[in-house]
Formats: sequence, structure tokens, C-alpha cells
Amino acid sequence: MTSNTTNDQIELLGNVLVPVANKQDAEKTANALAPYHPSHVTVLFVVEKGEGVPDKTPVEQSKTIAEESFGAVRSVFPEAEDHTVFSRDIVNAIFETAAEIDATAIVYRSRGGGRIMQFLSGDLSLKLVTQADRPVVALPRADQES
Amino acid sequence: MSSADEELAKDLGPLAALTIGVGTMIGAGIFVLPGTAIENAGWFAVLSFVLGGFIALFTALSASELGTAMPKSGGAYYYINQALGPLFGTIAGWSNWLGLAFASAFYMVGFGQYVQAILGVSNTFVIGPIELSTIKLIGLFGAAFFILVNYIGAKETGRLQNVIVILLVAILAVFTFIGAFRADPANLPPGKGLSPLLTTTGIIFVSYLGFVQITSVGEEIKNPGKNLPRAVIGSVLLVTTIYALVLITMAAAVEEGFIAEQQLAGKIAIVEVGRLLLGPVGVVALLLGGLLATASSANASILASSRINFAMGRDEIVSKKLNDVHERFGTPYRSIAITGGLILLFIVAGSVELLATLGSVLHLIIYGLLNLALIVLRETDVIDYTPSYRAPLYPATPIIGALLSFALIAFIAPTVIWLSALLVGGAVIWYFGYARRRTPFQGALSKHIFEQRDSMPGSVVSAANSVQPDGGDYRVMVPLANPEHADDLISLASAIAKSQSGTVDAVHIITIPDQTSLEYARNHFDEEREQSKELLAEAERTAGYFGVPIETSTIFSHRSFEEIFDAARTHDVDLVVMGWGPDSHGSPGRIESAMDDLATQLPCDFIALRDRGFDPSHILVPTAGGASSELSAEIAKGLQVVFDSEITLLHVTEDHAEGTAFLEEWAENHDLDGVNLRVETSGIDTAISTAAKECSMVIIGATGRGLVSRLLQGSSVLDIVEEVDCSVILAERPHKRSILERLFGTRK
Repeated sequence: MTSNTTNDQIELLGNVLVPVANKQDAEKTANALAPYHPSHVTVLFVVEKGEGVPDKTPVEQSKTIAEESFGAVRSVFPEAEDHTVFSRDIVNAIFETAAEIDATAIVYRSRGGGRIMQFLSGDLSLKLVTQADRPVVALPRADQES
Repeated sequence: MSSADEELAKDLGPLAALTIGVGTMIGAGIFVLPGTAIENAGWFAVLSFVLGGFIALFTALSASELGTAMPKSGGAYYYINQALGPLFGTIAGWSNWLGLAFASAFYMVGFGQYVQAILGVSNTFVIGPIELSTIKLIGLFGAAFFILVNYIGAKETGRLQNVIVILLVAILAVFTFIGAFRADPANLPPGKGLSPLLTTTGIIFVSYLGFVQITSVGEEIKNPGKNLPRAVIGSVLLVTTIYALVLITMAAAVEEGFIAEQQLAGKIAIVEVGRLLLGPVGVVALLLGGLLATASSANASILASSRINFAMGRDEIVSKKLNDVHERFGTPYRSIAITGGLILLFIVAGSVELLATLGSVLHLIIYGLLNLALIVLRETDVIDYTPSYRAPLYPATPIIGALLSFALIAFIAPTVIWLSALLVGGAVIWYFGYARRRTPFQGALSKHIFEQRDSMPGSVVSAANSVQPDGGDYRVMVPLANPEHADDLISLASAIAKSQSGTVDAVHIITIPDQTSLEYARNHFDEEREQSKELLAEAERTAGYFGVPIETSTIFSHRSFEEIFDAARTHDVDLVVMGWGPDSHGSPGRIESAMDDLATQLPCDFIALRDRGFDPSHILVPTAGGASSELSAEIAKGLQVVFDSEITLLHVTEDHAEGTAFLEEWAENHDLDGVNLRVETSGIDTAISTAAKECSMVIIGATGRGLVSRLLQGSSVLDIVEEVDCSVILAERPHKRSILERLFGTRK
């Protein structure tokens, strides 16, 4: 583990967990995070499982998307570690992984969207910020897409 | 991805797998068609359903074996593509896709009938030139809803599926149980003979579409070796039993003529029988059952079709773009949207029976091909074909399965057969017009035919040859710079292209200073363009001498080497043949900056020729195994075919006997005949230079990654190259090849 503590102070970006959803999201997230120079980056890709029903996408495709996403992050943070988790509950999987790697913060970039869009895609932002047991950093969205 | 991860990806238990099959099958078929069936065939309708199940069972046995051997996304399409090649793969893929769309449209029309029966309104709406009944209008709304659900990927619906299936089975069980008390053989409407029995089977077969869908999610099933066959075969047995009992109830529990009356009155027969048996409760239960059954079938079919699209895109039978995943919803939205559009169109255009039978015929084609696929895979000794479940009574099972599937098609209405033939014809045109140039796959069948070329009738070989995928046509790209070596490079490329029945792609890359815009260069560098023309004309003559098709182009660029890599990618090239030496590609100093990221990953196979005269009469191939030495073997083999070259294989090792054994096996594996084997115990460099004295050309497989790239920068990587007097070819094969390519050794 990298040294998260300096003089008993936890460095916020000492060991960050960065959940990403796809290549494009990974690229934007990594670029948004770069100016803040995190000491250690772990990228997380959660494959959303049906658990009892077929998934939205074939496992093979999900894995490809995970690899592409990791690649996109590594082009900014070459040292970034990667993590693939299979779970029905994306937010919970993020929390579990954060605990597992003892992350100092969860860093993500909201994909925005209106209320309906947020609702339809599961409103992960809300769950992420309200239920976390450690700091959650929302990166600025430089490009204002809808 | 570790094997622990693989396990985590599997989360469908035996019950979940079973309900996918049962839930897809129990749909509009049993809730809409029994009335028609009894009217057409009398009590033989029971036999029609049993016969349908019997036909499905044979295919289920074959599908189970294939599913355990290759738990891959795409199911039936995938097996057929692997076994029978991409022509049949294309037919199967399109049939499966459209078949599911037709079936979904049929389910949704059935859904419309049930909603209408509940609402009790019946009208015809005229929208522009189209007349729509209430039923179809409701069907359209229903379909739009389920397409949307899949588009945004609401997983909650999926979980409902299990509950729905259990509920359905319960409703039908109570229905038949109560019916049994009222059953009286005297009620049975007389059977109407064999011919109506068979035509009725053709109509109701749509009730058996769905068991193969289990295999398309094979990679998500826990312990697939056991659970997949159980789910596939179990679901067919279960629904056959349910259907038979329901039909017996409907035929025996009500008086003869009752069904015909209801049919005439435009009522849903099964609901009316339910009313008679169970009163209002029966009506409610069966109406609810009909709604849930049709909805769940359509929902499952839409998802299944996106899996087939995925597999087709992966093999480049359709555009990969179809599989793009939605940025927010994480669903293959394009595929779902197109399938959805087709479903809506089919609902508007087709009648209930047309939709049902079209869905059936297209699936029967797939089932027939699937049985043939099993036979091919068993007979041709495909590597890695190790199913953990084996279909019993082979070869009888798949033969009967294929015969029954194809035979049943003959009993379906001629118009439907013609329409289906049209769709299959369309798929064939699609293969030759689109997929053949793109898909890199060769089926086990044609591989087998080519391997046994000598013992096969000539007509079979040429037939197989004429439908071969071009593998995106084997393309050999030659970037030209120095006119001095151009001729030898083109000769080498042409010989390799000839041996692979491929095409040469000669590219003259003119490097211009950064200060000059490309636009300006294109318009003003007349002298260079003139030179380029001459150079390429010369290349065309050389290729013509070999009888190899050639394409030529001139590229102005600021970067010479990056441009080669880019061109190799955009031209979809399989092999790049380059010259390398003191003066091949300008001064090395200029290149270096561009090379960093390139060195890591070659876009395709690369060979670099250190030209000291092109003489392939005696080729030396030193080898120690590895991916790049595979490429050396292929090149040597190609030159041997074209020039009848003598080949000497060289292996350096301490133990002479071991070395000879290694070389013998290596030659065998790479299909090299009539070669000299040479084992040396001295140092590698000495061994090569000694052996090279007797040879006219040396082909060395690069051992380290990025060797060719580093070479091109001018760094001398291998001293040995300078120590020999003859031409040296360095071959490098990129490390990362897809698992499939490695498994099936594509690109013939």
C-alpha cells in the first residue's frame, strides 16, 4: 500500500478508486483527474450482472469494454491498477472494492443528464454520494454535453 | 482474466437457465393457436403438439452437445458458423435474427388479442394508407414498450421472468387438472388424417422456439457441462408435456363443436374453455396467463436477438457498429433498436399465421443446420472440440433431427416457404456482397475439404473454394521507397500473395518536409508524382509476371513509418513486406521520434527484406519455435510453392536427437514437406552463418517483440544479418492474436 498518511493526515488523493463505465467515460474521467495528481490510481470496472437472468451484454463484450476502459485510463496514468468486478449492484460493488483496497477516496465523473435520464439509468450518483463510507470526489465535467 | 473471474461471470443457476427456455417457449403459441389447431386437425391437434416437441427434442440433444463444447454468445449461429463456414453462418445468423423478430411480432399480436379480450373493444383504425385492427395497435404499443425496456436495460423485468414462468406453469397445471375431471373421450373431435396433422404441426411449431436461446447465454450458466443440457432438454420435455395436456383438456373437456364456435365468434378458445371449466376465475387466470406469456416470450426474444447480432458482428458478418453499447444504459442499443423496428414493421404487415409460420420456418432451417453442424464437428476432428455432454445414439440423433426439421418445412404453406426462400436468398447475397470480403473465418467443413483435397472429388473442392471467405482477401502491402530494391520486394510480395491467392498492395510513400502542407505537395510535387507513377507501373509489371492482382497508391506524408502502420491498418492488410538496409527508407535519424508507440504493437505480420539479390532457390529457416517462426514457416512454404525452393530447417541445441525430433515435429506442424533438417550444437550465430553459406536466402523469425520496428530505425539488432552474404528476411508476427484465430488457424 502506498503511504496514505503524512503526519497522521490522510491525503485525499493518496489512493483513489476510479469507477468507469466505458472507454469514453474512462478517457474523460482520467483527463479530468490528471490535473490533481493522485498518488495511486485503481480503475474499477463493474460488469453489471443479471444474477438469475441474462445480462444486458454478453460477458465477452463486457470484458472487452473493461479492457478498453483500462487502456484509456492507462494512457493518462500508466501505473494505474485495474479491477474487474461482477455484480448486480454497481454502487455496492464500488464500495466493497474501495474497502478492499483501502481507498482514500472514490473519484468519479457524473455523466450528467436530466432527472429522467438519471432515473432510467439507475441514479448511481445519488446512491454513490449518499451511501459511501469514505470521501467521494465528483470531478468537474469540462465539456457540457446534455 | 483469471479463471476465478470466469466463475464470477457465471450466475445463472439450473432453474434460471430452465426458465429462459420455458419462458420463451410458453407464449403466444399455446395461448393463441390451440383453437386453430383443433379446428384444423381434430383431436390429432394433440399429436401435432407432441410431434412438434419430438422434432424439437432431437435438435435439443444436438444443441446441448454443441452448447457444452462451445459455451459462446450467439448459440446456434455460432456453432453453424464454426462448423459449416460463414456462408451457412450468414444464413443461420440472418434466419435466427429475422426468425426471432417474426416470432416476437407474433407474440405481440397474441398479446394484442388478450388485451383486446380484456378491454372488449374492437375497432379498425385507419392511419394514412394503413388499416390497423385494435389487436395490432395494442400489439404495436406492447412491442414498443418491450423494445424500450430492453433499450434502457431495466433488469427488473428479467427477474420477473422467473415468477412469470412459475405462474404460467401453475395456471396451465390447474387448467388441465380441473379439465381432467370433465374429460370425456366422447367429446373428442374426430382426427382429420395425417396431412392436416402435419400442416398443423408446421403452424404450432412456433410454440417450440426458445430452447436454443438457452445456449446463446451459455457463457453465463453455472457449471454449463451439467446445467446446460438439463435446461435445454428439460425445457423441451416440460413444455411438450404441458402442451399435450392442455390440448387434451381442450379437446376432451368440452363438447365437440365448442371450439369451432368460439373460433368463429372470434374469441380466444383457451379462455372460453377456461370459462366453462373454472368460471370467471378461469377467465381471469387464463387472460393473465396469456398476457404474461406473450410478454415474456417477446421480451426474451428481443434480448436473444441482440446476442445473435453480437456474435455476427464479432465475426464481421454484419457491421461491428451494430454492437456498440449505449453510453448510459450499457445496452447494445443499436441492435435492439433495429430489431425493434423490424418487429413493429412485421406486426403491421403480417397476419397471425404468417408471422407464426415465418418464425417457424426460419428456425427450422437453423435447427436443421445445427444438426448438420454437430455431424461436421464430430467427423472432422476439430481441435478442442471436447463437449462434456455427448448427444446419445450418434449419428442417428442429428441425422433424424436434421431430416425432421427440414421435412416439416415442406408442410408449411407454400407462400411462407417462398418468402423464407427469399430471405435465405437475401442472406446468400449478403454473404457474397458484404460478409465474404470481411469475415476472416473458415468453417471446419471447408478446412476439412481442403486438407483432404487429394481424396475429395474435384467438384467438392472447387465448390468449397468458390464460397470461401476472402478472409478479407489476403493482402500483402509493400511500402516502396528506394527504386533499387522495389523490384525484389514486389517479387517477394507477389510470390507470397500468389501462394495465398491474395492481392499485392503497393504503396509509394513520399515523405515531405514538415513545413510543406500535404495539400501543396499533392498539387505541386509533379516530379515526385512522375517518379511514383513509374515506380508503381514497374511494380504492376512484376506482379503481372506472377499473375497476382495488384493495387497501387501514392501517399504523401510527413511521417514515413507511422504512415506505413496507418496504411496497414486502413487497408486491412495481412502482411507488410518492407525493405530495410542502409538506404531503404531515408535517413534513420528522421524516423526515430515517430517510432516510440509503434514499436509496441504491429498491426499485422511484418517481414523485412535485407536485399542482397532476390534468389529463393535454397532457403534456410533457423527456428526455435514461437509465433514469429510460424510466420517464417509460412513464408518459406509460400516460396516453396511458387519457386519450388529447397528448404533447410536449422535448430541449434545440445542434444542432436532431441533437435532432430523437434525439427521433424515443427516441419509436420507447419505443413512443410521435403525439407532438409539440420541440427547444430555450436553457437547460434556461427551455426547460422555456416549454414547460410550453402543457401541463397535466410528467413529469421524475430524472437523479441518490436524487433522489426527497431530494425527499421536503423539500429543493428542482429549481428548475424551482417555476417551472411545472402539476402535475409526478418519475420515478425504480432504477439496478440485473438484466441479464435489461434485456435482455428484462420487465414488459410
